Amino acid sequence: MGKFVQLVVDGLSTGSVYAALALAIVLVHQATGLINFAQGGMAVLSAYAVWWLTNRGLPLVAAILVAIVLSVVFGALVERWLMRRFERGDPDTAVVVTIGLLTLITGFAGWLWTYNNQQFPSLFPLDTVSFLGVSVSVRSLGTTAVIVVAMLLLQGLFVGTKLGLALRAVAINPQSAAFCGLPVGRLLMVGWGLAAALGAVAAVLVAPQLTLTPGMLDNALVYALAAVILGGLTSPIGVVIAAWIIGILENLAAVYVPFIGFDLKVAVPFILIFVVLIVRPQGLFGRKTVVRV
Amino acid sequence: MASSPKTSSPKTSASKTSASTTSAPTSSATTSSASSFRQRPWVRWGAPLLLVAGLAVLPLVMTEGANDTLARIGVFAVAVLGLNVVMGYTGQVSLGQIFFLGLGAYVTAYGVQSGWNIVLVFVLTCLIPAVAGLVVALAAARLGGLAIAMVTIALPIVGVPLAKRLSDFTGGSQGLSARFVEAPEGSGLYDDQWQLYLVLVIGGIVFLMTSLLVRGKYGRAFAIVKGNENVASSMGISPYRYKVLAFTIASLIGGVSGFLYMVVVQYTSPETMSFGHSIELLVAMVIGGAGSIVGSLLGGAFYVIVPDVTNAIDPSLTALLQGALLLAVLFVLPGGLVSLPRALMRRLRRSPAGRGSAAPPTTPSSTPGSGTAAEQSETERQGHA
Amino acid sequence: MNRHSRSRKALGIAVASALAVTVTGCGNREDAGRSGDAAEGAPSPGITDDSVTLGITTPLSGATAGPGTCTVAGVTAYFGMKNAEGGIEFGDGQTRTVEIEALDDTYDPQQAAANYDQLKDEVFAMTAGLGTPTNRAWRDAAIADEVPQVLIMTGDPLFSDTEESPWQLGFVPIYQNEGEAFGELLASSSGNHRVAILSQNDDFGAGYVEGFKSAIEGADNIEIVDELTYEATDTSVDAQITELANSDADVFFNAMSVTPLVISSLQKAQQLGWTPNWFLPSNTSSPTAILEPGGAAAFPGIYSVSFSKAPQSPAFAQDEDVQTYLAALPQYGNYPDPPAFPHCQWSWMVGATLEQVFMEMEEPTRDSFMEALRGIEGFEAPLMLPDTSVSTTEDGQPAVSTVVVQKYNGRGYDTVESFE
Repeated sequence: MGKFVQLVVDGLSTGSVYAALALAIVLVHQATGLINFAQGGMAVLSAYAVWWLTNRGLPLVAAILVAIVLSVVFGALVERWLMRRFERGDPDTAVVVTIGLLTLITGFAGWLWTYNNQQFPSLFPLDTVSFLGVSVSVRSLGTTAVIVVAMLLLQGLFVGTKLGLALRAVAINPQSAAFCGLPVGRLLMVGWGLAAALGAVAAVLVAPQLTLTPGMLDNALVYALAAVILGGLTSPIGVVIAAWIIGILENLAAVYVPFIGFDLKVAVPFILIFVVLIVRPQGLFGRKTVVRV
Repeated sequence: MASSPKTSSPKTSASKTSASTTSAPTSSATTSSASSFRQRPWVRWGAPLLLVAGLAVLPLVMTEGANDTLARIGVFAVAVLGLNVVMGYTGQVSLGQIFFLGLGAYVTAYGVQSGWNIVLVFVLTCLIPAVAGLVVALAAARLGGLAIAMVTIALPIVGVPLAKRLSDFTGGSQGLSARFVEAPEGSGLYDDQWQLYLVLVIGGIVFLMTSLLVRGKYGRAFAIVKGNENVASSMGISPYRYKVLAFTIASLIGGVSGFLYMVVVQYTSPETMSFGHSIELLVAMVIGGAGSIVGSLLGGAFYVIVPDVTNAIDPSLTALLQGALLLAVLFVLPGGLVSLPRALMRRLRRSPAGRGSAAPPTTPSSTPGSGTAAEQSETERQGHA
Repeated sequence: MNRHSRSRKALGIAVASALAVTVTGCGNREDAGRSGDAAEGAPSPGITDDSVTLGITTPLSGATAGPGTCTVAGVTAYFGMKNAEGGIEFGDGQTRTVEIEALDDTYDPQQAAANYDQLKDEVFAMTAGLGTPTNRAWRDAAIADEVPQVLIMTGDPLFSDTEESPWQLGFVPIYQNEGEAFGELLASSSGNHRVAILSQNDDFGAGYVEGFKSAIEGADNIEIVDELTYEATDTSVDAQITELANSDADVFFNAMSVTPLVISSLQKAQQLGWTPNWFLPSNTSSPTAILEPGGAAAFPGIYSVSFSKAPQSPAFAQDEDVQTYLAALPQYGNYPDPPAFPHCQWSWMVGATLEQVFMEMEEPTRDSFMEALRGIEGFEAPLMLPDTSVSTTEDGQPAVSTVVVQKYNGRGYDTVESFE
């Protein structure tokens, strides 16, 4: 029993890593209707900024704040000077542009800071809390707490604010949004900037564990995408819960289903997605949108 | 296929035959003179013949390195072509095409190592990936948009550990080698020449059959499904059936590219079908030009040549250079390399008027499968997600 | 129209065949640049009277670029230093400088094979590249072309089998050797031990486990209580550590080659209150990069195997080899940072070993090179630990087959003779 609970707790903390990246992907999708493959790469770049600043003697929290501001600017610039050219065109092309951006950023980080693993300072102490025979690191707790806060803020943004409504309007139909007098271009820049900031937070949370490398979030990206689809593209809460479910189920399946084992546990989220989407095409928590013919 | 004036469909302008068989007056003077040029019998017969003759001679005159490179381009051009069938022509995002290449490569390697007849091996290399693709498609085609992308992502992601687990068939992480394409005795050919001939012949047949397919009745159905599934249903075209068909054909073509991979590379391992390569195939398809036969060739060339070029510039900067190059190409040619002649033409025509933009026009059109298909499928995708 | 086109077709075919015949003639006469037909004794490609070029295909971008960059940096630095001293005097009496041509294969077998195709006519020999699949991809081709593929960074035994791989030789110990060395130490211990195993799901992990198991076979005091695997692409192995901690083993055999996963395993085990004796492979046991951030001091013993001096270890701060090496790496190897992976040291040793081969090589040919290569015995390359050496005379073994077991002392490593 102790093992079972520990596996669940481990799964939650792994799931939080996926959730962090997934939230940023959802934000860009909500604002632009695109899946941004470069989200992880941009987040890694933010983490390198933090790392560089702390190495220059800046306190960690100050470095993170500076990096978040830089990320907002960078995200907005990427939208304005790169993505805007592709937003009205074929969505496949736009997705490939984000893949190109990912390659470019990874190569840039590798060139500037090498492909070696860099130690990244943690926001939380490396202590362990034990309860009911289960041990949890303070870092996992802290990561999870920050992600829950980010999730609630994001949910509040989408549901409760005019900005969130405007962002969604732009994503769903830019032309109509423009007719309604919304500053479409500026809203898109805001969406990308916010997502980049969220990505920066995500990267700062996971970098101490994964160690900082240019490809740090490449493996997490697939899981984050899985969480996004499973949770439903429109729901930050759904996405985070989906990421946790993936983390937990993966661990349990690996340990308790011998046929799956640790090598094929990666199949679990996809089987789950498949089953869920057959029943609920909009994902676990997503809203169904109506398509006009 | 009566296209309205000014429609800039990637399909019509890329396909020579459809342009020349269209009886309706075409949009501009340049195109019509070009098509009448193409209609002349000696051009219609002579050009392909010249091409075939050229390709027949090419392996004999080129250096070994050039032959190798061209053969690898052929391998990945076929893989990109398969992806184009399901994605470029039918609008279903597939991130798993590399899995079928890997599966084909494994079937070939296993068959060769077991000493099976090479023709049988080739047939199995077509059949097994096609059946695998059919099974996946029967399930996945029920889903739309991003969901199908997620299911197809799973193929390489799960395929790599699966290949390691089935080490009796796959050689595990050490992979399988198979050298089975030595030039026949007495042909006087070098191995690289023989390999290139195999790639040219098999790849050429696949390209020919695929271009016939997408220009025929099935191709039109694919385009309608891509344009709008509800419209397709109302026209009596079952989107499900055609999506399954397209996916199965794409898998079969992927399997053939796996066979060619073994002809050229002669080794396969789990790394062959890693997710990163699947993404690179998608990039190659879009860079070449989605929904285009010539674009598939260009995409294959991009896939193969760019790493070599960036290596030649600076091997420690390959990722940086590749990313920059990709963005630069798409920035100038959002429609892919295949749209270069059109973009040049437009620039030439427009420059006197002082408008130098090379962006593709997004004029609305009622023709399914034309430029607006992409936009329609965008809303489609959001709807399903 | 029909007849017309048919006659044209016939004409076309005739023209094409005529062309083909002419061109084939040319092609055969000029050989179109094909290799492998050189006359006996003539110099092989890639070598002149004053220089020789070596080729490397290795990952320089992507997930394995860290160690991959090292495999180029070490050997480039070594020969850069030698070139600055005027070059190396070869066995045929000529003094030559050594140039390195390295290409990025991103750990993709297909790209590695393409890189080989590109390099094979320009370079004298291929060397130092990292990776099992990427080296296997062009092994057959190298044999067919008679191009040396030597002192490469893979512990795959295939490359050290002279019968199967006449033009190949691995450099680093085969994975089995490393696992075996620790297994022998453990089996010779007086106490009883319960062992948990976590290995990477590929030939790397499997080789370690195979060697370890063969060494403890028949030892009554050793029991394997649990055995799990992980994927190199996993972001976390917490679940595996949790399950293994449950087995309450007192020895943990951890065949893991992914730096962040080793660090997080060390941390996770401490969180769970599980502190076994811990075994780590030679490539993921760096004191500064892995053990310190992982908090390894909490464990009773961290064991590893090695054949090279750890340059950052205080024990070797005054060592002459280490000082020369650390000075040359940034100056000639284009590697400004302190070496982050042991592959940098290994690659340096590859350079030193190649120098030995060059000095013995009597003709500027690949045949002569291979002959000299197979005749090295007991060569103590710079940076090697006492009791280890480069020997190429034993079939089935790579150039380095001896390793010593070491124990972490809080800052660096000490060689140990017995367990605990």
